[in-house]
Amino acid sequence: MDEDEELSHMRAPDRADFDPTEETQDFRFLEKLTAQDSAHPTLPKRGEKDFESHATNLQLDTLEASRRAMHGVLSWQRTHTQKGHIIAMYDPERNMACVDKVRSQHFQTIGTNKGGREWLLPEEALFLLERGTLDCRWPVKREVGDQGLYRTEDGAPMTLQSAYSAFIGFEGGVGGKLTLEMYNVYAGLKRSGYVIFRTGTWDDDRGDALLAPPKAEEQAKSQPGVFKRFFTEIWRRLSQPTHTMSPQNLAFGPLVKPGLYRSYNDIYRLLNIIPTHDRTAPPSFILPPSADNPFRVHFDVYRTTAKFRKSARGPPDFRICVIDARSTLVPTCAQLNDLMAQVPEDRPKESDPPYQRLKYGYRNLILAVVDNGIPSYIRVADSAFGDVKIYDRAGPRGKGGRGRGGGRGRGRGRGRGR
Amino acid sequence: MLESRRQAGEIRYRRYMTPQQPVPSDTELQSSHMSEAIQPEQSAPKSGSPENGALPRQDKAANGGLRKPRPRRPNYHEIHAKSLPLDVYPLPAFVPHNPISVVRIAINLLSHSIWPPKSHRVVHRAYYSPETRSVHVTDQASIRALWEHGFFGKGSLSRSEPQWLVAEKRKRGAEASKTSTEVTQSRREERKQFKLERAKAQREAIEQQLRDEGKLSVDGSLDQVVDDEHVPALPLTIETGDNTVVDLDALVPAVDKTSGMLVLAEHDTEPVPEVKIQDLEHLQLTPEEAFFLTYAIGALDVVEVDNTDSAEPSESYSIQHLMRLYCAHAVSTSKITEETLIEPDNPFLLKYVVYHHFRSLGWVVRSGVKFAVDYLLYIRGPAFTHAEFAIMIVPSYSAPYWTEHAQEKKSRDWWWLHRVNRVQSQVMKTLLLVYVEVPEPWDNATEDGSKLDVGSVLKAYKVREFVFKRWSPSRNRD
Repeated sequence: MDEDEELSHMRAPDRADFDPTEETQDFRFLEKLTAQDSAHPTLPKRGEKDFESHATNLQLDTLEASRRAMHGVLSWQRTHTQKGHIIAMYDPERNMACVDKVRSQHFQTIGTNKGGREWLLPEEALFLLERGTLDCRWPVKREVGDQGLYRTEDGAPMTLQSAYSAFIGFEGGVGGKLTLEMYNVYAGLKRSGYVIFRTGTWDDDRGDALLAPPKAEEQAKSQPGVFKRFFTEIWRRLSQPTHTMSPQNLAFGPLVKPGLYRSYNDIYRLLNIIPTHDRTAPPSFILPPSADNPFRVHFDVYRTTAKFRKSARGPPDFRICVIDARSTLVPTCAQLNDLMAQVPEDRPKESDPPYQRLKYGYRNLILAVVDNGIPSYIRVADSAFGDVKIYDRAGPRGKGGRGRGGGRGRGRGRGRGR
Repeated sequence: MLESRRQAGEIRYRRYMTPQQPVPSDTELQSSHMSEAIQPEQSAPKSGSPENGALPRQDKAANGGLRKPRPRRPNYHEIHAKSLPLDVYPLPAFVPHNPISVVRIAINLLSHSIWPPKSHRVVHRAYYSPETRSVHVTDQASIRALWEHGFFGKGSLSRSEPQWLVAEKRKRGAEASKTSTEVTQSRREERKQFKLERAKAQREAIEQQLRDEGKLSVDGSLDQVVDDEHVPALPLTIETGDNTVVDLDALVPAVDKTSGMLVLAEHDTEPVPEVKIQDLEHLQLTPEEAFFLTYAIGALDVVEVDNTDSAEPSESYSIQHLMRLYCAHAVSTSKITEETLIEPDNPFLLKYVVYHHFRSLGWVVRSGVKFAVDYLLYIRGPAFTHAEFAIMIVPSYSAPYWTEHAQEKKSRDWWWLHRVNRVQSQVMKTLLLVYVEVPEPWDNATEDGSKLDVGSVLKAYKVREFVFKRWSPSRNRD
């Protein structure tokens, strides 16, 4: 009875799995974007995909049109509008940019206000520069004894090339450090419509271990009366034979020695001998702190909401750790442990079905593994399988056990037509 | 269950087809077939009209009408009521408004205290086969018991459940029902047929386009154009699952013959008198399963050679011996001496620790070799649900000993993880990386080999589970 094998062939592509950004695009839709009148914008449709060339004119024409559209878009000249023209000054000491006058919606989700001026982190400045919103100027080089006051406008404008080489790779302090991988992830998520900020302070090698929020005081159990307890105990002894594990059994087996067992749960409890990670203990670091540990939480990511304020951001929706796929390996248990210790506990609801609880995990974060500019995101969850006793709930049910839809935790697209 | 899933499969084939594709819709094929083989009690299907599109619901009804009444499927809840090959004796339920239930409980308690029933009624016997590195169970009753009570092992001639005998009987016409293996087989046939049809339709569409463009004469075929212009053409052959290549031209008569209906292995033979077939199949247990059954459950004795038939059973191996045996066979392909020391990261030990851990939580753990992982986790068993989790075991060397003894312990690269993760999300499993904390070496030469304390060895390992799942920015925005 193994049916799993068949599954992959039978289903339509899973919606959750399908990511249109991974497909080769039909660039003809760009033409519609640039050519259409702005009064009635419509979403472009993707074309059908041909896998091999055949001799039809139709196919050749389609391909040519697609190429032309791409070229048309790339050759389109982009200009700063006078109204949204923002000038920033590059600060080589801190590898940041400084804006005097804030004149854009962008600054609701970008930049830090310090001393009446808006400071942009390197990735923020680079992002704005790249999308043509920001005009960044080099500081004016002063001669010795030059006391003149220069305005920002007096500096030479920074080209995109020089911005990339200036902002990326600055290692003078952890605060100014921006790797190309980090910028890839930052710009990608920003373009997909997320609000994204750097996590925590950047002076330390890593964040602090975050303890679980103190739980509400254990509910004082109402003590049953003496008689009730007495009889409960008698009943327990009568009905439940006690099973203990002797060292002899542990060493030479079997763990379940022949005898009288009232339920399989008793047997499963006897079998439980493999130690697991203790998730009730406060998290602790295993590895010594080090500046070149690649596994640290880099970004806090927020979904866009109307009432977002950058001065009071609140807890982020996602936490992202940016990894260079070429220079790191899959994390070891110690690295993952240290990474998980830096994110707060985020438990699933107790009422959720077990599959969902297990998949959600007690702590979670997202690894953005960047391989030569292409990020793949993986959600890692510290999942407490030891806390979900399957034997407790998986007892035999009656017939008609198929109508359990919700309890199965199959997620989207699963179990359809079964 | 299988039947309904098969229907679901048919519906999904249809989803592959986009409406623009001029594939002869299944409805047409269906209706042409219906006209031949319509059954008297079936009212004329509405799906007969061509503008009605391929609506799954209607097809379903039409298919249902064509199919023979299927045999009832076995009650798996009854067959697999026991989750382990042991017997338990629960007390009868106490029903407050039924005083007799109290009496029943009392009688039960009394009889159980006078004649305590046994949890281990049978200890199954098996032998280790070094060639296949598995433990073989040949006794029929044991095979059924180990499979039904906890889904241990696999049939040596079946994909999973030992079903060879049933399939063989059916092949000889002795039994009417299909085994799941055969159902799968026929489903594969359907799939192959579907793909062939689709490829054919696509090819016809291209030919039509070429004719419209005047590149092809009215009765020419695509091959001419390809030969003339040296353009790589649409595949004229398609790969089918079993590595054979089917020529599309050869397919055409096949499709006509069956009028597009899927080829099902329908045997209309008369029942043949029962023949005595010797069951050639045995049950294969992996070393981890066998060790769990012996060490943890105590329901299996592994003996030296296969002499279960002889009156005098040979001596069964001790736990210590079995552990050394499995460990030694897990690392070496050459001559095995069982006196070699067990490395702490021995693959058998790592796998067993994980196996035991999840079994002790109540999961049904089965080999994940078909999805290229170490294990699959089922709730209650493969007869009831699909596996939800796929396990990959990763040894972890965090103990202080390993930092001092900096050995070349290779870690996996990200492409490995992406590969594994892609496969698992394709088959709708959730990838679980189980890190097993490897202790420092515990097997030293000074100690007497037979004094191996299995329990304390297992307790030196520690597991930690991490769920890895692909995350897509475009799907989590709101």
